[in-house]
Amino acid sequence: MSKPVPKIALFIWDPGERLARGLDLEALLQKFSKAKGVARAEVIADPWSAAWFASIKEDLAAGRIDRILWVGHFTPQQMKILQGELQPAGLNTFLHHWCDLEEQGILLAGIDQGVRNRKVLALLEMALARTRLLEPLEPLELPASEAMLIIGAGVAGIHTAASLAELGKRVYLVEKESGVGGKVALLSRFYPRLCDPHCGLQHALDRLHASQLVEFHTLATVMSLEGGPGNFAARIQKRPRYVNEQRCNGCGVCTGVCPVKVPGAPGDRDVFPQAGASPQPDRKAIHPAFPLAFPPAYVIDREDCLAGCRECEQVCPAQAVELNQTPEEQVLNVGAVLVTTGWDPYPLDRVAEFGYGRHPRMISNLEMETLLGAELQRPAPDFLGSGLREVGFIQCAGSRDERHLKYCSAVCCAVTLKQALTFKELAPEANCYVFFMDMRCPGFNEELYRRARDQGVIFIRERPTSVKIDETTGKLNIRVKDPILERPVRVDLDLLVLAGGMAPAEGTPDLARVLNLPQNQYGFFESHQQCHPEESQRTGIFVGGCAREPMNVSQSIESAHLAAMKALKFLQGSVIIEPTYPVVDKTRCDQCKRCVEECPFGSFGFDEKSFPTPDLARCRQCGNCMGVCPLGVISLRHHTIKQTAAQVEALNPAFMGEGEPVILAFLCANDAYPAARAAVDQGLPVPPNVISIKVPCAGSVNNALVADALSFGIDGVLIAGCRDDQCHYVRGSQLVQKRSGDLGEKLRTMMLEPARVRFESLEIRESQRYVDLLQAYIEDLKAMGANPFKI
Amino acid sequence: MPPRVDREKCDGCKAEEEPLCAQICPGDLMVLGENKKAYCRAARDCWDCMSCTKVCPVGAIETRAPYQLGYHVAKLIPMMGTNTITWTCIDINGKVERFRYKNRTT
Repeated sequence: MSKPVPKIALFIWDPGERLARGLDLEALLQKFSKAKGVARAEVIADPWSAAWFASIKEDLAAGRIDRILWVGHFTPQQMKILQGELQPAGLNTFLHHWCDLEEQGILLAGIDQGVRNRKVLALLEMALARTRLLEPLEPLELPASEAMLIIGAGVAGIHTAASLAELGKRVYLVEKESGVGGKVALLSRFYPRLCDPHCGLQHALDRLHASQLVEFHTLATVMSLEGGPGNFAARIQKRPRYVNEQRCNGCGVCTGVCPVKVPGAPGDRDVFPQAGASPQPDRKAIHPAFPLAFPPAYVIDREDCLAGCRECEQVCPAQAVELNQTPEEQVLNVGAVLVTTGWDPYPLDRVAEFGYGRHPRMISNLEMETLLGAELQRPAPDFLGSGLREVGFIQCAGSRDERHLKYCSAVCCAVTLKQALTFKELAPEANCYVFFMDMRCPGFNEELYRRARDQGVIFIRERPTSVKIDETTGKLNIRVKDPILERPVRVDLDLLVLAGGMAPAEGTPDLARVLNLPQNQYGFFESHQQCHPEESQRTGIFVGGCAREPMNVSQSIESAHLAAMKALKFLQGSVIIEPTYPVVDKTRCDQCKRCVEECPFGSFGFDEKSFPTPDLARCRQCGNCMGVCPLGVISLRHHTIKQTAAQVEALNPAFMGEGEPVILAFLCANDAYPAARAAVDQGLPVPPNVISIKVPCAGSVNNALVADALSFGIDGVLIAGCRDDQCHYVRGSQLVQKRSGDLGEKLRTMMLEPARVRFESLEIRESQRYVDLLQAYIEDLKAMGANPFKI
Repeated sequence: MPPRVDREKCDGCKAEEEPLCAQICPGDLMVLGENKKAYCRAARDCWDCMSCTKVCPVGAIETRAPYQLGYHVAKLIPMMGTNTITWTCIDINGKVERFRYKNRTT
């Protein structure tokens, strides 16, 4: 099947006659006006003049030209204007090709005129080869749901749900506990203002009540997630509450008759001598939702019920008790998913040296929160009366420790300062000691540190290696050497608080499996901290709050909002897909599934005949599938393998002349290309030996293209991408390095030097290094001698 | 001479049931061993068609060239471009010859 011959308009734009000074543009036009497919060729005086535009539009309308090759330097804005102007005249925005000769170093000083002339010919041949293969493309519009699924109804989830509802989006809040609020509901006070967190939670809940769009699913877990961005189907399972949520009005008559008393955590410890001040008070088998009594319906812990007891059912005035409830499943159709599953305290019993759990008065910072919270609620707080006069805090209990959490949990310093200040406020005569490595109070939290010192909190920059329990007095003895006073410090504590760290929420591994979401080395859902902090490695699934990284409450709310902001793209009723998505040529694919395995974003599935098919909404269009395909049958549209192969074939490696090696550089559009471009702009001595092709990601370069280049006599092939940990597509650089290594091995067996193919990582401002490495590369290639395939 | 698989390099085509070499072998000779590495199960039935060598995505298969080209144990190594095959033949005396062909299938 022969395709119609393309009708290319070749326009050279040379404002200020920069090109004309080094090149004979008329001769170029002469030569290329006869090239295959060129229908019109001219040097344009002013691309913005109305008359000139009219003439192009006329040619387009008459079908005399159907694509344009622009030669010259156009800024992205100018490209956009030209594309936009010509689109109404029938020229698809993808039928433009831009060939910037300056960017290839044509005008740099010190280049031999013969080399310059030949290199321009090579570049224009390459540009024409690609232009001939351009296809008109249109973006796709896929239908999408307008609802959002938020997993975890903690402070980040609730606030974000409220904001989304105010924007008119339906929100499903799925929470595994019986009530919302998460960890924040257990806190006594927020820092730095030392206000009550319930106020903030209540405020968010009030915003939620004002909306009809938010649906709560408590006691619920996500069992599976099918589909893709814009059209997820989440199957959730709801454990029975045994109380009808609509009918129950929370009157509490049932708890009055319930015969079962369940002791509250922390069990038999006697930290809280005053009755009723236990952190999680004793409760009945039927009790209000926890941690926050919202939804207002009560909940029954059936495993605690007495066999055959139906007291609550009989007494309930609203007839809300339904003891025969069974687990229910429900499918939610949503456009995007926000994970705000938060954190759980790191198990302190693993930090053996302090002996958490050995003594009732050694508690975690989270338990301290509830203790302070309860005390603040009492009409006359009296810590001293309870015998709590000497209180110690050990920082970094399990954090910043090779054996436990290797990271800093970000909040514990400020939390301890807040707790010490609150304690001092309730019992000014008490002594507070803080044993620490470093106090980390970024930003305005420094104020807390200063206030704590003013209030007489004693800071000791040394952490005890062990804590001794004095059996006779019941006190906790700490002996350390104060490094500043250079003398031993002995304190006998009535209460010791271990500032434990934040670990990913307990259910994180299960959720990771259900959502197919990679966890980072610490177990959190973090993927690219600098550029896309809110994104996960699965398009359409976003992460906010401590599920991503340890952070404080305000940062949690912010990060979840940022995630929701990005998720809005998938909540518009339709998702627009840029037309540069990958296409699999199914007539040649042999279903090896390598693309499925190596796609960094898990966007490949299978069609009914088991051919790999990208989920276009999930795809980030990095082209790693194109790079990895052993048969070269996957192509990103507009960056197809055929287009690039045509460019490589059109490159005549003879332009440098005898003895000078030629390098083809595939430059990643994100970092390496701008670095190379800046090298030219800064006038650095970029060797003329190199010709570059911009690619979406280094990982999109298929080995077949490198093989092409070598077999057409190009001496060296450079693939330059981002540094491993900086790849915008997470794994592109890694994948291409592995493949270049494989190819190098093959070259060795072919009696070719493996070092002809190189991968280099370049940061965006490493222009000088780009030039240096090219120069070294050229020296190496000269030492190797010409590529034996060179004709 | 039958194909030799470099066990270090062969990755069994990742999670695949049938690796590419097994799919392409006209004699159905390539199979995955228990160690998830491919091997030729009947060396004497191999025709030296080199399909497996060409298709292997990690370059783990080598075919020692048959007699006429460079005498036993000469090497014949294909390198697949987008629509070219480049052959390198290294005969028993270490003499290197290289050929490039346009691929007819595309």
